[in-house]
Amino acid sequence: MVLRARDVAVSYGDEPVLEGLSVGVEAGDVLAVIGPSGVGKSTLLRLLALAETPDDGTVELDGTDAWALDNGDRLRLRRRIGMVFQEANLFDASVARNVEYGLRVRRLWSDRLRDWAASIVGPSTPTDAVTEALSVVGLADRGDQPAGSLSGGEAQRVSFARALAYDPDVLLLDEPTSDLDPRNTALIEEAVSAARDRGIGVVLATHDMHQAERVADRAAVLLGDGIAEIGPTDRVFEDPNDDRTRQFISGELVY
Amino acid sequence: MECERFRKLTVFLEPIASLVSGGLSPAIAPPARSLVPLVSFPFETVYVRSIVAVSLYVSLCAVLASTLVSLPVALLVGFNDFPGKGLLTAAINTGMGFPSVVVGLVVLFAVSSQGPLGELELMFTREAMILSQFVLATPPITAISLAAIDGVDGGVRDAARALGGTRLDVALVTLREARYGIATAVLAGFGRAISEVGSVLIVGGNIAGVDGVSKTRTLTTAIQLEARQGRYETAMVLGILLVVLVLLVNGIVVRIGDGGVR
Repeated sequence: MVLRARDVAVSYGDEPVLEGLSVGVEAGDVLAVIGPSGVGKSTLLRLLALAETPDDGTVELDGTDAWALDNGDRLRLRRRIGMVFQEANLFDASVARNVEYGLRVRRLWSDRLRDWAASIVGPSTPTDAVTEALSVVGLADRGDQPAGSLSGGEAQRVSFARALAYDPDVLLLDEPTSDLDPRNTALIEEAVSAARDRGIGVVLATHDMHQAERVADRAAVLLGDGIAEIGPTDRVFEDPNDDRTRQFISGELVY
Repeated sequence: MECERFRKLTVFLEPIASLVSGGLSPAIAPPARSLVPLVSFPFETVYVRSIVAVSLYVSLCAVLASTLVSLPVALLVGFNDFPGKGLLTAAINTGMGFPSVVVGLVVLFAVSSQGPLGELELMFTREAMILSQFVLATPPITAISLAAIDGVDGGVRDAARALGGTRLDVALVTLREARYGIATAVLAGFGRAISEVGSVLIVGGNIAGVDGVSKTRTLTTAIQLEARQGRYETAMVLGILLVVLVLLVNGIVVRIGDGGVR
Protein backbone atom coordinates (compact mmCIF):
# COMPACT_ATOMS: atom_id res chain seq x y z
CA MET A 1 0.00 0.00 0.00
CA VAL A 2 1.25 3.46 -0.90
CA LEU A 3 -0.71 6.67 -0.43
CA ARG A 4 0.95 9.51 -2.23
CA ALA A 5 0.31 13.17 -2.99
CA ARG A 6 2.21 14.17 -6.13
CA ASP A 7 2.95 17.84 -6.93
CA VAL A 8 -0.28 18.94 -5.28
CA ALA A 9 -1.31 22.59 -5.13
CA VAL A 10 -4.19 24.12 -3.21
CA SER A 11 -5.17 27.74 -2.84
CA TYR A 12 -8.02 29.42 -1.02
CA GLY A 13 -9.02 32.40 -3.13
CA ASP A 14 -5.79 34.06 -4.27
CA GLU A 15 -3.86 32.69 -1.32
CA PRO A 16 -1.77 29.61 -2.18
CA VAL A 17 -1.69 27.17 0.75
CA LEU A 18 0.31 24.32 -0.81
CA GLU A 19 2.36 24.45 -3.99
CA GLY A 20 4.04 21.60 -5.84
CA LEU A 21 4.18 19.39 -2.77
CA SER A 22 4.91 15.65 -2.93
CA VAL A 23 4.75 13.24 -0.01
CA GLY A 24 3.88 9.59 0.47
CA VAL A 25 3.39 6.93 3.13
CA GLU A 26 3.71 3.15 2.93
CA ALA A 27 2.31 0.26 4.95
CA GLY A 28 3.74 0.15 8.48
CA ASP A 29 5.38 3.55 8.08
CA VAL A 30 4.75 6.46 10.47
CA LEU A 31 5.33 9.84 8.86
CA ALA A 32 5.19 12.95 11.05
CA VAL A 33 4.33 16.21 9.30
CA ILE A 34 5.67 18.97 11.50
CA GLY A 35 5.58 22.69 11.08
CA PRO A 36 4.07 25.82 12.57
CA SER A 37 0.33 26.50 12.63
CA GLY A 38 -1.29 27.71 9.43
CA VAL A 39 1.33 26.19 7.16
CA GLY A 40 -1.06 23.75 5.49
CA LYS A 41 -0.67 20.56 7.54
CA SER A 42 -4.44 20.12 7.85
CA THR A 43 -4.95 20.89 4.16
CA LEU A 44 -2.36 18.25 3.26
CA LEU A 45 -4.16 15.69 5.40
CA ARG A 46 -7.54 16.61 3.91
CA LEU A 47 -6.02 16.07 0.46
CA LEU A 48 -4.64 12.68 1.49
CA ALA A 49 -8.06 11.79 2.97
CA LEU A 50 -9.65 12.60 -0.43
CA ALA A 51 -11.85 15.13 1.36
CA GLU A 52 -10.58 17.95 -0.83
CA THR A 53 -9.72 18.18 -4.53
CA PRO A 54 -6.25 19.50 -5.35
CA ASP A 55 -6.14 22.46 -7.78
CA ASP A 56 -3.14 20.81 -9.37
CA GLY A 57 -1.33 17.47 -9.02
CA THR A 58 -2.67 14.05 -8.04
CA VAL A 59 -3.44 12.00 -4.95
CA GLU A 60 -2.80 8.31 -5.58
CA LEU A 61 -3.54 5.17 -3.61
CA ASP A 62 -1.50 2.24 -4.93
CA GLY A 63 -0.84 4.23 -8.10
CA THR A 64 -4.52 4.98 -8.82
CA ASP A 65 -5.28 8.67 -9.27
CA ALA A 66 -8.29 9.13 -6.97
CA TRP A 67 -9.64 12.21 -8.70
CA ALA A 68 -9.62 10.54 -12.11
CA LEU A 69 -12.21 8.05 -10.79
CA ASP A 70 -15.99 8.39 -10.60
CA ASN A 71 -17.63 8.94 -7.23
CA GLY A 72 -18.33 5.27 -6.55
CA ASP A 73 -14.77 4.12 -7.22
CA ARG A 74 -13.34 7.04 -5.27
CA LEU A 75 -15.57 6.10 -2.32
CA ARG A 76 -13.99 2.64 -2.37
CA LEU A 77 -10.52 4.23 -2.14
CA ARG A 78 -11.68 6.68 0.50
CA ARG A 79 -12.94 3.79 2.60
CA ARG A 80 -9.41 2.38 2.89
CA ILE A 81 -8.36 5.56 4.68
CA GLY A 82 -9.11 6.55 8.28
CA MET A 83 -8.88 10.03 9.74
CA VAL A 84 -8.81 11.39 13.29
CA PHE A 85 -9.28 15.10 13.89
CA GLN A 86 -8.07 17.43 16.61
CA GLU A 87 -11.57 17.34 18.13
CA ALA A 88 -13.13 13.98 18.89
CA ASN A 89 -16.38 14.84 17.01
CA LEU A 90 -18.19 11.86 18.52
CA PHE A 91 -21.82 11.17 17.61
CA ASP A 92 -24.49 11.54 20.28
CA ALA A 93 -24.77 7.77 20.81
CA SER A 94 -23.11 5.03 22.84
CA VAL A 95 -19.35 4.50 22.61
CA ALA A 96 -19.87 1.16 20.84
CA ARG A 97 -22.19 2.66 18.24
CA ASN A 98 -19.63 5.37 17.56
CA VAL A 99 -16.85 2.84 17.03
CA GLU A 100 -19.13 0.67 14.92
CA TYR A 101 -20.03 3.54 12.56
CA GLY A 102 -17.35 2.90 9.93
CA LEU A 103 -18.32 -0.77 9.77
CA ARG A 104 -22.00 0.10 9.58
CA VAL A 105 -21.75 2.44 6.56
CA ARG A 106 -19.84 -0.26 4.70
CA ARG A 107 -22.66 -2.77 5.01
CA LEU A 108 -25.52 -3.32 2.59
CA TRP A 109 -28.63 -1.21 3.13
CA SER A 110 -30.76 -4.32 3.63
CA ASP A 111 -28.50 -5.44 6.51
CA ARG A 112 -28.38 -1.94 7.97
CA LEU A 113 -32.18 -1.68 8.00
CA ARG A 114 -32.48 -5.09 9.64
CA ASP A 115 -29.96 -4.11 12.34
CA TRP A 116 -31.77 -0.84 12.86
CA ALA A 117 -35.07 -2.67 13.36
CA ALA A 118 -33.37 -5.06 15.79
CA SER A 119 -31.89 -2.15 17.75
CA ILE A 120 -35.40 -0.83 18.43
CA VAL A 121 -36.40 -4.09 20.08
CA GLY A 122 -33.32 -4.48 22.24
CA PRO A 123 -29.68 -3.50 22.69
CA SER A 124 -27.23 -5.16 20.32
CA THR A 125 -23.92 -6.71 21.32
CA PRO A 126 -20.82 -5.03 19.89
CA THR A 127 -18.90 -6.92 17.22
CA ASP A 128 -15.40 -8.28 17.82
CA ALA A 129 -13.86 -5.53 15.68
CA VAL A 130 -15.47 -2.89 17.90
CA THR A 131 -14.29 -4.52 21.13
CA GLU A 132 -10.81 -5.00 19.72
CA ALA A 133 -10.51 -1.39 18.54
CA LEU A 134 -11.68 -0.17 21.95
CA SER A 135 -9.17 -2.39 23.74
CA VAL A 136 -6.34 -0.84 21.68
CA VAL A 137 -7.14 2.51 23.33
CA GLY A 138 -7.83 0.94 26.74
CA LEU A 139 -11.59 1.45 26.74
CA ALA A 140 -12.86 -2.08 26.06
CA ASP A 141 -15.27 -2.01 29.01
CA ARG A 142 -16.87 1.34 28.15
CA GLY A 143 -18.85 0.36 25.05
CA ASP A 144 -22.27 0.85 26.67
CA GLN A 145 -21.54 4.33 27.95
CA PRO A 146 -23.00 7.38 26.20
CA ALA A 147 -20.24 9.20 24.30
CA GLY A 148 -21.27 12.45 25.98
CA SER A 149 -20.23 11.16 29.40
CA LEU A 150 -16.56 10.69 28.45
CA SER A 151 -13.73 13.04 29.36
CA GLY A 152 -11.96 14.91 26.54
CA GLY A 153 -9.06 12.44 26.51
CA GLU A 154 -11.32 9.39 26.54
CA ALA A 155 -13.44 10.87 23.76
CA GLN A 156 -10.34 11.35 21.60
CA ARG A 157 -9.29 7.75 22.26
CA VAL A 158 -12.76 6.60 21.15
CA SER A 159 -12.34 8.75 18.06
CA PHE A 160 -9.09 6.89 17.36
CA ALA A 161 -10.77 3.51 17.91
CA ARG A 162 -13.56 4.58 15.57
CA ALA A 163 -11.05 5.07 12.73
CA LEU A 164 -9.24 1.83 13.61
CA ALA A 165 -12.32 -0.42 13.79
CA TYR A 166 -12.77 -0.87 10.04
CA ASP A 167 -9.09 -1.75 9.63
CA PRO A 168 -7.99 0.99 7.22
CA ASP A 169 -4.77 0.80 5.19
CA VAL A 170 -3.80 4.35 6.17
CA LEU A 171 -4.57 6.45 9.23
CA LEU A 172 -4.35 10.23 9.00
CA LEU A 173 -4.07 11.97 12.38
CA ASP A 174 -4.53 15.75 12.47
CA GLU A 175 -3.02 17.02 15.74
CA PRO A 176 -4.77 14.24 17.64
CA THR A 177 -3.25 15.03 21.03
CA SER A 178 -2.97 18.81 21.04
CA ASP A 179 -5.83 19.17 23.56
CA LEU A 180 -4.87 16.18 25.72
CA ASP A 181 -3.09 15.64 29.02
CA PRO A 182 0.19 13.65 29.08
CA ARG A 183 -1.45 10.36 30.09
CA ASN A 184 -4.00 10.38 27.28
CA THR A 185 -1.31 11.58 24.87
CA ALA A 186 0.81 8.57 25.82
CA LEU A 187 -2.16 6.22 25.29
CA ILE A 188 -2.79 7.66 21.81
CA GLU A 189 0.91 7.34 20.96
CA GLU A 190 0.83 3.69 22.07
CA ALA A 191 -2.19 3.18 19.84
CA VAL A 192 -0.27 4.71 16.91
CA SER A 193 2.52 2.19 17.49
CA ALA A 194 -0.04 -0.62 17.66
CA ALA A 195 -1.51 0.55 14.33
CA ARG A 196 1.97 0.55 12.76
CA ASP A 197 2.58 -2.98 14.03
CA ARG A 198 -0.62 -4.04 12.27
CA GLY A 199 0.85 -2.74 9.01
CA ILE A 200 -1.17 0.46 8.85
CA GLY A 201 0.57 3.47 7.31
CA VAL A 202 0.21 6.55 9.54
CA VAL A 203 0.53 10.25 8.72
CA LEU A 204 0.63 12.34 11.89
CA ALA A 205 0.37 16.12 11.66
CA THR A 206 1.71 17.71 14.81
CA HIS A 207 3.42 20.82 16.08
CA ASP A 208 4.89 18.82 18.96
CA MET A 209 8.40 17.93 17.81
CA HIS A 210 9.01 15.63 20.75
CA GLN A 211 5.97 13.63 19.77
CA ALA A 212 7.30 13.35 16.23
CA GLU A 213 10.60 12.04 17.64
CA ARG A 214 8.80 9.54 19.87
CA VAL A 215 6.43 7.94 17.33
CA ALA A 216 7.56 8.64 13.77
CA ASP A 217 9.89 6.72 11.47
CA ARG A 218 10.15 9.66 9.13
CA ALA A 219 9.55 13.37 9.52
CA ALA A 220 8.56 15.96 6.94
CA VAL A 221 9.15 19.56 7.94
CA LEU A 222 6.56 21.81 6.33
CA LEU A 223 7.53 25.48 6.29
CA GLY A 224 5.94 28.43 4.49
CA ASP A 225 6.59 27.35 0.90
CA GLY A 226 6.47 23.56 0.95
CA ILE A 227 8.44 20.67 2.41
CA ALA A 228 11.76 22.04 3.62
CA GLU A 229 13.11 18.65 4.55
CA ILE A 230 11.98 15.03 4.66
CA GLY A 231 13.83 11.97 5.94
CA PRO A 232 14.32 9.56 8.84
CA THR A 233 13.18 11.28 12.05
CA ASP A 234 16.55 10.95 13.83
CA ARG A 235 18.45 12.38 10.89
CA VAL A 236 16.03 15.30 10.40
CA PHE A 237 16.22 16.27 14.05
CA GLU A 238 19.92 15.69 14.65
CA ASP A 239 21.47 16.68 11.37
CA PRO A 240 19.08 18.64 9.15
CA ASN A 241 20.37 19.58 5.71
CA ASP A 242 18.16 22.61 5.40
CA ASP A 243 19.09 25.79 7.25
CA ARG A 244 15.55 26.83 8.01
CA THR A 245 14.76 23.34 9.34
CA ARG A 246 17.74 23.66 11.65
CA GLN A 247 16.48 27.05 12.82
CA PHE A 248 12.91 25.76 13.24
CA ILE A 249 14.00 22.71 15.23
CA SER A 250 16.29 24.71 17.49
CA GLY A 251 13.47 27.20 18.08
CA GLU A 252 15.23 30.11 16.39
CA LEU A 253 12.79 30.29 13.51
CA VAL A 254 9.58 31.57 14.99
CA TYR A 255 6.41 32.08 12.99
CA MET B 1 -38.11 -2.36 29.78
CA GLU B 2 -39.78 -1.78 26.43
CA CYS B 3 -42.73 -4.01 27.40
CA GLU B 4 -43.13 -2.11 30.67
CA ARG B 5 -43.22 1.15 28.76
CA PHE B 6 -45.77 -0.19 26.33
CA ARG B 7 -47.95 -1.56 29.13
CA LYS B 8 -47.95 1.81 30.90
CA LEU B 9 -48.88 3.52 27.69
CA THR B 10 -51.81 1.21 26.95
CA VAL B 11 -53.16 1.53 30.51
CA PHE B 12 -53.07 5.27 30.03
CA LEU B 13 -54.68 5.10 26.62
CA GLU B 14 -57.42 2.61 27.35
CA PRO B 15 -60.04 4.81 29.05
CA ILE B 16 -59.80 7.37 26.29
CA ALA B 17 -59.80 4.74 23.58
CA SER B 18 -62.90 3.15 25.00
CA LEU B 19 -64.64 6.50 25.33
CA VAL B 20 -63.91 7.26 21.74
CA SER B 21 -64.69 3.80 20.39
CA GLY B 22 -67.80 3.37 22.53
CA GLY B 23 -66.74 -0.14 23.54
CA LEU B 24 -65.74 -0.62 27.17
CA SER B 25 -63.20 -3.30 27.95
CA PRO B 26 -64.21 -5.40 30.96
CA ALA B 27 -61.07 -4.55 32.95
CA ILE B 28 -61.85 -0.87 33.20
CA ALA B 29 -65.59 -1.00 32.78
CA PRO B 30 -66.68 -0.02 36.31
CA PRO B 31 -64.87 3.33 36.63
CA ALA B 32 -65.62 4.26 33.05
CA ARG B 33 -69.33 3.49 33.43
CA SER B 34 -69.60 5.35 36.69
CA LEU B 35 -68.36 8.43 34.90
CA VAL B 36 -71.27 8.38 32.50
CA PRO B 37 -74.09 9.46 34.86
CA LEU B 38 -71.83 12.11 36.39
CA VAL B 39 -71.14 13.84 33.12
CA SER B 40 -74.15 12.53 31.19
CA PHE B 41 -72.71 13.12 27.75
CA PRO B 42 -75.13 15.30 25.82
CA PHE B 43 -74.08 13.82 22.48
CA GLU B 44 -73.86 10.59 20.55
CA THR B 45 -70.62 8.63 20.98
CA VAL B 46 -70.45 8.14 17.24
CA TYR B 47 -70.49 11.91 16.79
CA VAL B 48 -67.42 12.44 19.02
CA ARG B 49 -65.67 9.40 17.65
CA SER B 50 -65.98 10.54 14.07
CA ILE B 51 -64.89 14.08 14.94
CA VAL B 52 -61.77 12.82 16.70
CA ALA B 53 -61.06 10.51 13.78
CA VAL B 54 -61.39 13.33 11.24
CA SER B 55 -59.22 15.67 13.35
CA LEU B 56 -56.46 13.10 13.75
CA TYR B 57 -56.63 11.91 10.16
CA VAL B 58 -56.40 15.41 8.71
CA SER B 59 -53.69 16.70 11.05
CA LEU B 60 -51.51 13.57 11.03
CA CYS B 61 -51.63 13.33 7.22
CA ALA B 62 -50.80 17.03 6.91
CA VAL B 63 -47.91 16.82 9.40
CA LEU B 64 -46.55 13.65 7.78
CA ALA B 65 -46.58 15.30 4.34
CA SER B 66 -45.06 18.50 5.77
CA THR B 67 -42.28 16.56 7.49
CA LEU B 68 -41.47 14.61 4.34
CA VAL B 69 -41.12 17.90 2.45
CA SER B 70 -39.51 19.93 5.24
CA LEU B 71 -36.61 17.65 6.21
CA PRO B 72 -35.01 17.38 2.74
CA VAL B 73 -35.51 21.13 2.24
CA ALA B 74 -33.95 21.89 5.65
CA LEU B 75 -31.02 19.57 4.86
CA LEU B 76 -30.46 21.15 1.45
CA VAL B 77 -30.60 24.69 2.81
CA GLY B 78 -28.55 23.79 5.89
CA PHE B 79 -25.78 21.97 4.00
CA ASN B 80 -25.28 24.44 1.17
CA ASP B 81 -24.28 28.06 0.86
CA PHE B 82 -25.87 29.89 -2.04
CA PRO B 83 -26.85 33.43 -2.92
CA GLY B 84 -30.24 34.25 -1.41
CA LYS B 85 -29.96 31.73 1.43
CA GLY B 86 -30.63 34.44 4.00
CA LEU B 87 -33.66 35.62 2.04
CA LEU B 88 -35.03 32.08 1.74
CA THR B 89 -34.56 31.47 5.48
CA ALA B 90 -36.34 34.77 6.21
CA ALA B 91 -39.19 33.73 3.91
CA ILE B 92 -39.55 30.36 5.69
CA ASN B 93 -39.55 32.10 9.06
CA THR B 94 -42.19 34.53 7.85
CA GLY B 95 -44.30 31.56 6.80
CA MET B 96 -44.64 30.59 10.45
CA GLY B 97 -46.84 33.63 10.91
CA PHE B 98 -49.24 33.01 7.99
CA PRO B 99 -52.79 33.81 9.17
CA SER B 100 -54.68 30.54 8.85
CA VAL B 101 -57.85 32.16 7.45
CA VAL B 102 -55.84 33.66 4.61
CA VAL B 103 -54.32 30.26 3.87
CA GLY B 104 -57.83 28.83 3.95
CA LEU B 105 -58.99 31.44 1.49
CA VAL B 106 -56.11 30.76 -0.90
CA VAL B 107 -56.66 26.98 -0.74
CA LEU B 108 -60.38 27.57 -1.26
CA PHE B 109 -59.65 29.49 -4.47
CA ALA B 110 -57.21 26.78 -5.54
CA VAL B 111 -59.70 23.92 -5.12
CA SER B 112 -62.78 25.84 -6.32
CA SER B 113 -64.18 24.78 -9.68
CA GLN B 114 -62.34 27.58 -11.50
CA GLY B 115 -59.11 27.13 -9.52
CA PRO B 116 -55.96 25.29 -10.67
CA LEU B 117 -56.98 22.20 -8.65
CA GLY B 118 -60.64 22.52 -9.57
CA GLU B 119 -60.74 19.29 -11.57
CA LEU B 120 -59.89 17.26 -8.50
CA GLU B 121 -63.20 18.37 -6.90
CA LEU B 122 -61.68 18.80 -3.48
CA MET B 123 -64.02 21.54 -2.24
CA PHE B 124 -65.35 20.70 1.26
CA THR B 125 -63.34 17.48 1.54
CA ARG B 126 -60.87 16.24 4.10
CA GLU B 127 -58.18 16.28 1.41
CA ALA B 128 -58.66 20.03 0.98
CA MET B 129 -58.29 20.38 4.75
CA ILE B 130 -55.07 18.34 4.64
CA LEU B 131 -53.83 20.66 1.90
CA SER B 132 -54.48 23.81 3.92
CA GLN B 133 -52.98 22.33 7.11
CA PHE B 134 -49.97 21.20 5.06
CA VAL B 135 -49.45 24.81 3.94
CA LEU B 136 -49.72 25.96 7.55
CA ALA B 137 -47.54 23.27 9.15
CA THR B 138 -44.69 23.24 6.62
CA PRO B 139 -43.09 26.62 7.51
CA PRO B 140 -42.70 25.93 11.26
CA ILE B 141 -41.44 22.37 10.65
CA THR B 142 -38.94 23.57 8.04
CA ALA B 143 -37.78 26.60 10.05
CA ILE B 144 -37.27 24.75 13.35
CA SER B 145 -35.64 21.73 11.63
CA LEU B 146 -33.33 24.08 9.74
CA ALA B 147 -32.27 25.78 12.98
CA ALA B 148 -31.64 22.34 14.53
CA ILE B 149 -29.63 21.12 11.50
CA ASP B 150 -27.62 24.35 11.44
CA GLY B 151 -26.84 23.75 15.11
CA VAL B 152 -25.18 20.37 14.44
CA ASP B 153 -21.40 20.69 14.75
CA GLY B 154 -19.70 20.63 11.34
CA GLY B 155 -17.04 18.36 12.86
CA VAL B 156 -19.61 15.59 13.23
CA ARG B 157 -20.34 15.78 9.51
CA ASP B 158 -16.61 15.72 8.70
CA ALA B 159 -16.21 12.68 10.93
CA ALA B 160 -19.08 10.81 9.26
CA ARG B 161 -17.54 11.48 5.86
CA ALA B 162 -14.01 10.62 6.96
CA LEU B 163 -15.25 7.28 8.35
CA GLY B 164 -16.48 6.32 4.89
CA GLY B 165 -19.99 7.77 4.89
CA THR B 166 -21.72 8.74 1.67
CA ARG B 167 -23.69 11.98 1.32
CA LEU B 168 -26.79 10.09 2.43
CA ASP B 169 -24.94 8.74 5.51
CA VAL B 170 -23.82 12.27 6.41
CA ALA B 171 -27.40 13.52 6.04
CA LEU B 172 -28.70 10.70 8.25
CA VAL B 173 -26.08 11.40 10.93
CA THR B 174 -27.05 15.07 10.87
CA LEU B 175 -30.75 14.25 11.22
CA ARG B 176 -29.95 11.95 14.12
CA GLU B 177 -27.85 14.58 15.89
CA ALA B 178 -30.65 17.11 15.36
CA ARG B 179 -33.41 14.70 16.45
CA TYR B 180 -34.60 16.67 19.50
CA GLY B 181 -34.91 19.85 17.46
CA ILE B 182 -36.70 17.93 14.71
CA ALA B 183 -39.09 16.37 17.24
CA THR B 184 -39.84 19.89 18.49
CA ALA B 185 -40.41 20.97 14.89
CA VAL B 186 -42.87 18.14 14.22
CA LEU B 187 -44.71 18.90 17.47
CA ALA B 188 -44.92 22.59 16.62
CA GLY B 189 -46.31 21.67 13.19
CA PHE B 190 -48.81 19.23 14.70
CA GLY B 191 -49.84 21.80 17.29
CA ARG B 192 -50.42 24.36 14.58
CA ALA B 193 -52.40 21.88 12.47
CA ILE B 194 -54.70 20.31 15.04
CA SER B 195 -55.53 23.50 16.93
CA GLU B 196 -56.26 25.51 13.83
CA VAL B 197 -59.86 26.60 13.06
CA GLY B 198 -59.91 29.22 10.33
CA SER B 199 -58.69 27.39 7.26
CA VAL B 200 -60.38 24.02 7.91
CA LEU B 201 -63.64 25.87 8.46
CA ILE B 202 -63.31 27.64 5.11
CA VAL B 203 -62.13 24.72 2.95
CA GLY B 204 -63.83 21.89 4.87
CA GLY B 205 -67.13 23.52 5.69
CA ASN B 206 -67.58 21.89 9.14
CA ILE B 207 -69.92 19.25 7.71
CA ALA B 208 -71.52 16.42 9.69
CA GLY B 209 -74.16 14.12 8.24
CA VAL B 210 -77.70 13.78 9.58
CA ASP B 211 -76.59 10.47 11.11
CA GLY B 212 -74.22 12.50 13.32
CA VAL B 213 -71.09 11.26 11.56
CA SER B 214 -68.51 13.92 10.85
CA LYS B 215 -67.52 14.43 7.25
CA THR B 216 -65.26 17.46 7.60
CA ARG B 217 -65.97 18.49 11.17
CA THR B 218 -62.89 18.60 13.39
CA LEU B 219 -62.60 19.11 17.13
CA THR B 220 -61.86 22.79 16.67
CA THR B 221 -64.68 23.56 14.25
CA ALA B 222 -67.07 21.44 16.34
CA ILE B 223 -66.10 23.38 19.48
CA GLN B 224 -66.78 26.72 17.87
CA LEU B 225 -70.13 25.45 16.52
CA GLU B 226 -71.23 23.93 19.85
CA ALA B 227 -70.21 27.07 21.74
CA ARG B 228 -72.03 29.31 19.29
CA GLN B 229 -75.17 27.22 19.69
CA GLY B 230 -74.94 27.41 23.47
CA ARG B 231 -74.05 23.73 24.06
CA TYR B 232 -71.22 24.64 26.37
CA GLU B 233 -70.91 21.20 28.03
CA THR B 234 -70.31 19.50 24.71
CA ALA B 235 -67.87 22.22 23.72
CA MET B 236 -66.01 21.72 27.01
CA VAL B 237 -65.78 17.95 26.60
CA LEU B 238 -64.54 18.36 23.03
CA GLY B 239 -62.02 20.92 24.26
CA ILE B 240 -60.71 18.54 26.91
CA LEU B 241 -60.45 15.78 24.31
CA LEU B 242 -58.46 18.09 22.05
CA VAL B 243 -56.01 18.93 24.84
CA VAL B 244 -55.66 15.24 25.77
CA LEU B 245 -54.97 14.34 22.12
CA VAL B 246 -52.27 16.99 21.85
CA LEU B 247 -50.71 15.78 25.11
CA LEU B 248 -50.77 12.18 23.90
CA VAL B 249 -49.11 12.98 20.60
CA ASN B 250 -46.49 15.06 22.43
CA GLY B 251 -45.79 12.14 24.77
CA ILE B 252 -45.44 9.67 21.92
CA VAL B 253 -43.09 11.94 19.94
CA VAL B 254 -40.90 12.57 22.99
CA ARG B 255 -40.76 8.81 23.64
CA ILE B 256 -39.66 8.18 20.07
CA GLY B 257 -36.97 10.87 20.46
CA ASP B 258 -35.67 9.24 23.65
CA GLY B 259 -35.72 5.80 22.09
CA GLY B 260 -33.31 6.99 19.42
CA VAL B 261 -30.56 7.81 21.93
CA ARG B 262 -29.11 4.31 22.12
